Amino acid sequence: MSDTIAKEGAAGGILASLSIAIQTRIGRQKLRKIILGSIPFLVLFVLWQMNTAFEWLPAVFIPPLGDVLGAAITLQEDCVGIGGALAMDNTCLLTNHIFSSIGRVILAAVIGLPLGIGAGILAGMNRTVSRYLEPVGVFANSISGIAWIPLAIVWFGVGWMTTLFIMLNTIFWLMFFNAMLGVRGVAKVYEQSVLTMGGSRWDVIRHVYLPGAMPSIITGMRISLGFGWRALIAAEMIGGDSGLGFMIFVSAEEFKIEEVFLGVIIISLIYMATDRYLLAPLEKWTVERWGLIWKPT
Amino acid sequence: MQQRNDATGTQGPGLGWRINKLLQLDAMNLVILVIAVYIIWSVISALIDNPARYLPSPIAVAMSSVDMLYKGLLPSYFGDTLVRLIFGSAIGLILGIPFGLLLGINRTVADMFHPIMNFFQSVSGIAIFPIIVVWWGNSDKTIFAVILYTAFFPIAFNVLSGVREIPIRYISAARTLGASRYQIIKDVLFPGAMPHIATGSRLSIGFAWRAVIAGEMLAGRQGLGWMIFTGQDADNTAEVILGMVMIGVTWIILDHYLLRPMEADTIERWGLVQR
Repeated sequence: MSDTIAKEGAAGGILASLSIAIQTRIGRQKLRKIILGSIPFLVLFVLWQMNTAFEWLPAVFIPPLGDVLGAAITLQEDCVGIGGALAMDNTCLLTNHIFSSIGRVILAAVIGLPLGIGAGILAGMNRTVSRYLEPVGVFANSISGIAWIPLAIVWFGVGWMTTLFIMLNTIFWLMFFNAMLGVRGVAKVYEQSVLTMGGSRWDVIRHVYLPGAMPSIITGMRISLGFGWRALIAAEMIGGDSGLGFMIFVSAEEFKIEEVFLGVIIISLIYMATDRYLLAPLEKWTVERWGLIWKPT
Repeated sequence: MQQRNDATGTQGPGLGWRINKLLQLDAMNLVILVIAVYIIWSVISALIDNPARYLPSPIAVAMSSVDMLYKGLLPSYFGDTLVRLIFGSAIGLILGIPFGLLLGINRTVADMFHPIMNFFQSVSGIAIFPIIVVWWGNSDKTIFAVILYTAFFPIAFNVLSGVREIPIRYISAARTLGASRYQIIKDVLFPGAMPHIATGSRLSIGFAWRAVIAGEMLAGRQGLGWMIFTGQDADNTAEVILGMVMIGVTWIILDHYLLRPMEADTIERWGLVQR
C-alpha cells in the first residue's frame, strides 16, 4: 500500500487513507457487499436514464425519473408545510394517501395482533378450542384476504371499513396460527414444573406460554404485517377511497404513469423500511432474548 | 437462513411439517363444525334484513351453483383460473430455479443481485399491477406477468438459501474426487437444494394463487376472481360467496393433497438430515 501512496503522490495518499478509513469503519466484507449490491441499481438507473434520452420505450410506459420525482412535488404543491400534511389537509394529496395507508396498518395491527395472539394462545393451550378454531382458520387462510374484498364491499361499502376488514382478516388468522404453533412448541416440562411449584393457570400463561411462544409470535407479527400490507394495497385498489393502493390504481386509469411509479416505489420503501429496520431486528432480538432453543442461523 | 427469512418470511422447514401434522383432524370434529357453521350461517341469514344482499342462506348459495353449472359458467371460470395458475407458476418456477442456483453458486453474483431482488420482492405483484395495466391493458398478458412476477421471487430466494446451506465439505469432497463444475451442480447442489426447491415451489404457487385471484378481479378477465367481483357488482351475493368457497376449497385441496405431500416426500427423499 505504501508503494501506491508514494507513486500517486499526495492526492492518491489521501484517497488511499480515506479508503482504508472507510474499510476499517464499515468492515471489508460489508463494504464489498454494499458496492456489489449497488451495481444492479446503478445499471438500472443508467438504463432508465438512457431510456429517457433515447426513447426506446415511450415516456407513457416508462416515465423519466425527473417526472416521477416531479409528481411528488406536484401532488404536494398546494400543501401548507408539515403542519398541513400532518393535519391531513385536503390539499396534501400524497401525504394524505401515505398517512391513510399507514394509519390503517397501525389500526389493524393494534386491533388484530392482540386478538390473534390471544386466540392463538387459547387454541394452543386447549385442544378442544383448537379442534374447532383450526379448520376455520385453515379455510379462512385459504380464502386469501383478497377474495374477501367483494363481500366486504357488499357489507361495508367502499372505504375505510372494507380495507380495514381485509387487513384485519389477513392479520388475525396468520397471527393465530403462529401463536398457536408457538404455544404448542413449548415443552410440557416447563408448564408442569410451574404447576408443581404451585403456580396458577395464569402463572403458566404469563411465565411459560407467553415467553415460550414469543419468538413464534414475533415471527408471526412480521409475516402477518407483510401479508397484511399486500392485502391492504389490493383492498385499497378495489374497495378503497384513499391510500396508496387507491392512488396508484386511479393514476393508472388516468394514464398518469409517473404517479403510479411514485406510488409503487413508496409502497415498497415503506414495506422494506418497516420490515428491515423494525420487524426483523425485533424478531432477531426476541429469538435471542426469549428463544428456548438456540438455533444457529 | 437469513436469506430465506428475508425472502419469504417463513420459518424453517419445520413449519410445513407441523402444520401438516396439525391438519390431520378427526373427521367427526369436521362434521360437527360444518353443521355448526351451517346452522349459525342460516340463523344469521334468516335474522337480518335483505339476506339476498348481505348474507344469502347456504341453500341460496348452493342453488346459485346449480344455476351456474347449468349455464356452464362455473366449470369454464374454474378452468380459466386453474390454467392461469398452472402456466404462470410453471414459468415462474422454470425461471426461478436456475436463477437461484446461479446466485447460490457464485458468492459475488449473489452479493450483487441480492439487494435488488430484495427490493423487487418487496414490491408486491399486486402493487405493480397498475403499471402493467398501463403497458398491456386489461389482457391475459397482464395477469400472466403479475403471476410470473409474484411466483419468481419466493422460489429464487429459496433455491439460493438451499444452495447456500449445503455443507461446503460435500462440494469439496466431490471436487477432490475430480468432479467437474457441471457435475457438482448436477450431483451436489441441485439434489442438496431439493428440499428448499420443494418448499419454495409451494410458496411460489401459494403467492401465485393470490395473484391470480387479484389479477382477475383487477383486469376483469373471466375466472373465479372475476366471478366474485362481478357478483358484487351485480348484487348477486350468493355468487360471491360461492366463488369464495370455491377459492378456499380449491386451495385447500391443492395445498393439502398435492403440494404438502410433495414437499414432505421431497424433504424425506433428499433432505440432508446429518449435518
